[in-house]
Amino acid sequence: MAEPLRPLVVALLRWTDARARIDPLSGEVETDPRGAGPSEADRCALEHALRIAEAAAGRCVAVTLAPEPAEELLRDALACGADAVLRVDVPSWDSRVPDSGATTARALAHAIRTELGEPSLVLTGDHSADRGTGSTPAFLAAELGCAQALGLVELSYADGELLALRRLDRGRRERLAVPLPAVCSVEPAGLRLRRAALPSTLAARTATIPVVTGSVAAEPVTAHAARPFRPRAKELPPPPEADPRLRLLRLTGAHEHREPPRVVVTDDPAEAADELLEYLRGKGYL
Amino acid sequence: MRDRAGPASSAVTVAEPERPQFDAIVVGAGPAGSAAALELARAGHSVALLERGPFPGSKNVYGGVVYGRILDELIPGWYDEMPVQRWVTRRQTMLLDGERSMTVDFRSQSWGRAPYNGATTYRAEFDDWLAGHAQKAGAVLVPSTVATRLLRTERGRIVGVRTDRPDGDLTAKVVIACDGVNSFLAKQAGLFPGDQAAHTTLGVKETLALPARTIDERFGVSGHEGVDIEMLGCTQGIPGGGFLYTNSDTLSVGLVLGLQGLAKSGKRPEEVLAELKRHPSIQPLVRGAELVEYSAHLIPEGGYDTMPQLVGDGLLVAGDAAAMCLAAGIWLEGVNFAMGSGMYAGRAASKALSSGDLGALREYRGLLESSFVLADHKKLRKAPELVLSERVQQRYPGLVCDLVELMFTVENPKPKPGVRKLLRASAKRNGVKMRELARDALTGLRSFG
Repeated sequence: MAEPLRPLVVALLRWTDARARIDPLSGEVETDPRGAGPSEADRCALEHALRIAEAAAGRCVAVTLAPEPAEELLRDALACGADAVLRVDVPSWDSRVPDSGATTARALAHAIRTELGEPSLVLTGDHSADRGTGSTPAFLAAELGCAQALGLVELSYADGELLALRRLDRGRRERLAVPLPAVCSVEPAGLRLRRAALPSTLAARTATIPVVTGSVAAEPVTAHAARPFRPRAKELPPPPEADPRLRLLRLTGAHEHREPPRVVVTDDPAEAADELLEYLRGKGYL
Repeated sequence: MRDRAGPASSAVTVAEPERPQFDAIVVGAGPAGSAAALELARAGHSVALLERGPFPGSKNVYGGVVYGRILDELIPGWYDEMPVQRWVTRRQTMLLDGERSMTVDFRSQSWGRAPYNGATTYRAEFDDWLAGHAQKAGAVLVPSTVATRLLRTERGRIVGVRTDRPDGDLTAKVVIACDGVNSFLAKQAGLFPGDQAAHTTLGVKETLALPARTIDERFGVSGHEGVDIEMLGCTQGIPGGGFLYTNSDTLSVGLVLGLQGLAKSGKRPEEVLAELKRHPSIQPLVRGAELVEYSAHLIPEGGYDTMPQLVGDGLLVAGDAAAMCLAAGIWLEGVNFAMGSGMYAGRAASKALSSGDLGALREYRGLLESSFVLADHKKLRKAPELVLSERVQQRYPGLVCDLVELMFTVENPKPKPGVRKLLRASAKRNGVKMRELARDALTGLRSFG
């Protein structure tokens, strides 16, 4: 029998600019905080979290690891019905932090444990609209010592049991009974985030957003070798021919028969198309 | 089902609220709405600023110049903090005809120094900045929320708005409609006399990316200096005009097209714009630029005579919602009139709220009339009609280009002809009678003088 769901349901939301611009010359990514927000997958995750928290009589908390402009995202979550929110800030904010799933997961797990307690269920989008790697949920499950399920398109909670439908390749689906506690990442499918009511929207506009400073320790660097990588040479047996000239020809393949490349020289598009079709027929493609 | 704003929507009758949630509701966080909210919040009134987009400026389309003089009163020292693309130091008026063009080019370096004259800006940045001041003063910004209907009592007094959110009724003592051109709220209040299609134009704009240095070289500017080019005769017979403005590393090039003329022509606006970009005077300026955005928006260009009633029972109308866009040929201004009308609406509402006499809202019109907002519109009331007339739109660009071409074409050994003779020849070639030319000149003098 599954363990009864404990009341804390966390919705992890990644603050991301889906319309970031990349400078073609420098490769620099230019983002605009005004257009940033959660991805569709994260919005689905929040809706799942709200529904499951309601069904389990639990508490839904929206959490993000992001700078101050991301508080709009948390206000929206409050307006939609989240019981509380938490912003995890990183000293000297570096926009590359969320790109490292391990670093992000470590900071989030620490903040959730210390500020909110042990979560029963953590829900997040399985990928963000920008450069998200999708690795954060796996790292977070490892940090929290939870089960993990990913690629979910449906989630339902009843009688202490969390059931999920997972998308597989070729249109197939897989039903899962997810043991709790767990980290579940959902796809943007099946449901949409509810429209917040006006009274809760107004209340959320002036709500105080709790902020906790995240501890993002530098990634430990492991030195695997002190010298440049030198792959071992692969031995290839020489051609069996005794005559050096024949061995050379075998190695270079100089006299082997090859079909010369076919160059279409006509300027007439119709003729060129006919020639291309003839070639494909000759090769058995048509 | 979500309630939606639309031409068929009507006001909702509700009971008189015992305790309105806010002193004032401002609908629309554009320049007019934010200015109104700022004035109200500074006076200590509670104000909700509704915005349909996810942030102020996200839904706006604009390709013009912000003339910030009114900001001296609203936000002293504004030019040190306003998000500016370029300060306009060079202003051109260009008449186009076929492959020819005639340009009047004026430059003033003093416009590039404090206290400045006008600037190009991105509305997503500008509106957000102005709304930020309103928020800092205490206004509550409510984004992603559409005001769909007015709430009015049985006696007809407007006491709030219904929004498209669940439980979305919001009540206040005063509502200020700054919901833009084609204001459904002003229409619901019965403040618009008739159909606005004849007085409304469609603005289409392309934002084209170019390196800042290329823009500097092509337009003869440097640093934060910018250029404003207004065009006539580039709309293929459709009443309207064209524009080209320089931003830091983009150009805004576009057209303003009369709605009815555009529909009658059967042409697509993007086709007319593509033709403008191929003109020999424009093509070298935009060559190689990358299209980053195409946008379109309606513009209320009818002027003073097409404005709605500005005051209703518990309601004020400001900005584009009140048709406060000046399209008078050589003067094309909108944002400053929006800010001015919003500021005076905020002051009138503030005075009415402080005195407890909502009848004081009627002072709004007086404030506008004693300022540039209605004074300029009243003075230039005949200008839109003249500028959009068939002669100005289709014949005068050709007349001017013919006249200048004849003047500067050297036909030795023939002696140079007199200017009067050339003017008569040009007028005749373009089907303009000298009497009509004189009459239009007089109308122009009366309008602009």
